[in-house]
Amino acid sequence: MRIMFLGTSSNSGKTTVAAMMCRYAAINGISVAPFKASNLSSSWHITGSGSPIGIGQAFQAVASGIAPDDDMNPILLRPEKEGVVRYLKGSPCAISDDAAFSEVLASFDRIAGKYDLVVCEGSGSPVELNLKGRDIANMRMVRERGIPSVIVGDIERGGVFAAIYGTWKLIPEEDRRYLRGFVINRFRGDISVLYPGIEELESITGMRCFGVIPYADLRVPEEDTSVSEVSCREGLVSLDELLSACRDSVDLDGMLRISGT
Amino acid sequence: MKPVWSRVSKEIEGELAGTNTSCPYHPSHFRNQECTFCYCPFYPCEDPDLGEVAESPRLGRIWDCTHCNFIHRKDVASYVHGRLRASGISGPGDPALEELFRETKTKFHRKGKAVMILGATSDAGKSVIATAICRILNDRGYSVTPFKSQNMSLNSRVTHKGHEISMIQDLQARAAGVSRPSFRINPILMKPKGDGMSQVVLEGVPAGDYSSADYYSEFVPGPGTDALKRSIDFLQSRYDFVVMEGAGSPAEINIYDSDIANMRAAKAADADCILVVNVEWGGSYAYAVGTLDLLHPEDRRRVKAIILNNLRGNVSGMRAAAEELEEMTGVPVMGIVPHLDFDLPKEDSESFRGVKSVGKGRTVVAVPKFPRISNFTDLDPLLHEDVTLRFVSSPEEMEGAAAVVLPGTKSTTSDLEWLRRTGIAGRILSLKGEVPIMGICGGYQMMGRILRDPFGTEGEPGDTEGLGLFDMETEWPGSGKKTERFGGTYIPTGDPISGYEIHSGMSSSSETPMIKTRTGTEGSIREDDMLFGTYVHGIFDKPGFRRHFLSKAGCALSVEIVDHDDHVENNIDKLAHGVMEAVDAELFDRIFMEGRL
Repeated sequence: MRIMFLGTSSNSGKTTVAAMMCRYAAINGISVAPFKASNLSSSWHITGSGSPIGIGQAFQAVASGIAPDDDMNPILLRPEKEGVVRYLKGSPCAISDDAAFSEVLASFDRIAGKYDLVVCEGSGSPVELNLKGRDIANMRMVRERGIPSVIVGDIERGGVFAAIYGTWKLIPEEDRRYLRGFVINRFRGDISVLYPGIEELESITGMRCFGVIPYADLRVPEEDTSVSEVSCREGLVSLDELLSACRDSVDLDGMLRISGT
Repeated sequence: MKPVWSRVSKEIEGELAGTNTSCPYHPSHFRNQECTFCYCPFYPCEDPDLGEVAESPRLGRIWDCTHCNFIHRKDVASYVHGRLRASGISGPGDPALEELFRETKTKFHRKGKAVMILGATSDAGKSVIATAICRILNDRGYSVTPFKSQNMSLNSRVTHKGHEISMIQDLQARAAGVSRPSFRINPILMKPKGDGMSQVVLEGVPAGDYSSADYYSEFVPGPGTDALKRSIDFLQSRYDFVVMEGAGSPAEINIYDSDIANMRAAKAADADCILVVNVEWGGSYAYAVGTLDLLHPEDRRRVKAIILNNLRGNVSGMRAAAEELEEMTGVPVMGIVPHLDFDLPKEDSESFRGVKSVGKGRTVVAVPKFPRISNFTDLDPLLHEDVTLRFVSSPEEMEGAAAVVLPGTKSTTSDLEWLRRTGIAGRILSLKGEVPIMGICGGYQMMGRILRDPFGTEGEPGDTEGLGLFDMETEWPGSGKKTERFGGTYIPTGDPISGYEIHSGMSSSSETPMIKTRTGTEGSIREDDMLFGTYVHGIFDKPGFRRHFLSKAGCALSVEIVDHDDHVENNIDKLAHGVMEAVDAELFDRIFMEGRL
């Protein structure tokens, strides 16, 4: 079983939704682990074996009830003086994108070998025209391992229907079959206001809406910030609160079902 | 009419005046206007396309030309001047004069060109781009007006005629060089009160509180749509350009047909549109493609260009992708605008959220971060000195504060309760006499002894005990609102103060007044205790009082004395220059200037 959360932009809430999925699966007795091919961050968590991985994946691992592992986030991109430097499991590496991608696949396969469900998280938006061909963290991963995917859109700034539709549209037609649905994140107000838009989006894209996540002041450590210490306990409490707030508005079982297909 | 015509006769005898910037009344209508006819030969033309009927307190019913720019167009002035010289028209009543007016109007009057700036999201940079475009066009000598049909904001301003409009449209009007903006540049202003309710200000005047559902089902189809059309007609028949701003995203397909802030406004003005996408968060191509595709076909046809905005990084790295976007959508990318460094008032709590402090100065000014904080742009000018503004939510955060400013709020009594609950109120009282404490508008009301709100205008109905720093009572009469421009002098030093008042609570204070006006006094002051209170927004704009207040806080004053208005003016120029540098000038001209050069 495997599932990928793709974002319409950075900070759209992928990390949180993936953490919810991890937590929900773990609570239901499924052995689950997080995975993110590549992370751009200036802060990280050091695993037991001494490698840095993204804070988001470390948190998701804890939410899954397991220890963070190097393979959960094989590549870290660190902004340094001379530009962004790529680290493979803690060491700077000057290998080609293809070689890096083989390492990523190897990590994914090891995780998939150990756990029943792998909850993957993409990086930024999967359809950056300026990164085309160089992006190994999103659709290349999905294609190579046939991962059912869900788009996470952030409604806080508005334009969420356009963002989800545009992301779907820019994904090459042959890959759209992996796009199984979408979720709308950070909503405030009365959900019924959204229904006409959700129905229209479902009918034009053929994707299913797996739900609407209410706005929450999550104490989950966020990516792309310079948070240095992780208070996972506090984070888990807020994650559980969010899960219970989503009981009626998000179809987590539905997402579990597609992860097995 | 005789004495005026004698002036006109002199104008006819004289040469074309051009733009007379040395005139104390300049610009009477718009920056860069043609000044040949200070007195209009056609007054009163009584043409509803140009002027309007108004009630003057002194003169009764008059023909009001405040928003008419016709005779100040270079082509019109030159034509009329030449014809009047040649014709020997004797003055008002001469049928030839009426004939000349009709002829001139037929020849020159036309609807202004409308261009709407759409955003893929809120915070895309629409208002910034619109501000820049207003300035760019006005720099070329045109009469330009901003417009946004519906704005949700707690930052508002007051027009010369006492109408309330959004702060950002007022700023854009300044960029456009409009000397006296009309409420029609922002006919609908929604001021969120909390609990899902908003006070709706319609055509400058409060029109009741609405829930979001009632707003869309009742207000929008009726008064909202009418006001939108009235405003657009009014502005288009008076200005060369109407630079419109959309709200949020135009592609919210769940409310598409009831959205009067975007494509319906564009349609009413037959506007061309420019879509602005903020590239900072990524996903910008998806946002652009998605927005265009979700527009109805007849709306999509209006979109003539895309601006990729706020790029931090290398522009050349985006060119190829921009070209691909053009190919895919058929809409040209007008420019990739880099993250520009300019300092202009920010629209909303949107950009304010999460901010703990602004500035890097040594003097810390603590500002309670009221849940319903409003008009917080009042505080911006403090940053011209050696100041850090710290927005505090707990008494601990007030440690080291050298001054306290209580800003305005949309809900004085409920925010006062917040101030008590957090413990900040207690800390402020303990600082009395130690550091200067100032209240503005709602913050000033809090400083009094008691706040009487029998009708629940600001929160729960009833009386609320104030901080008791001033011997003052405030009462909300339940209806009415004071919205007025303000001018006066700060009594202790004689420094000028200008700004505006917006409040529905009325205070009676037995303290020493702070400001002298032409007709009376305003505010309260206790110099010994360093307590200051006023209703005047913009109190810190002029350097005199600002520096006086900060000197009490022990602030080392800057050598350069900055007038905030000049600062804003310079930054509008800086922004306009930065945007023009980044856009394709040819495409810009094709959109804006076609048939106009």
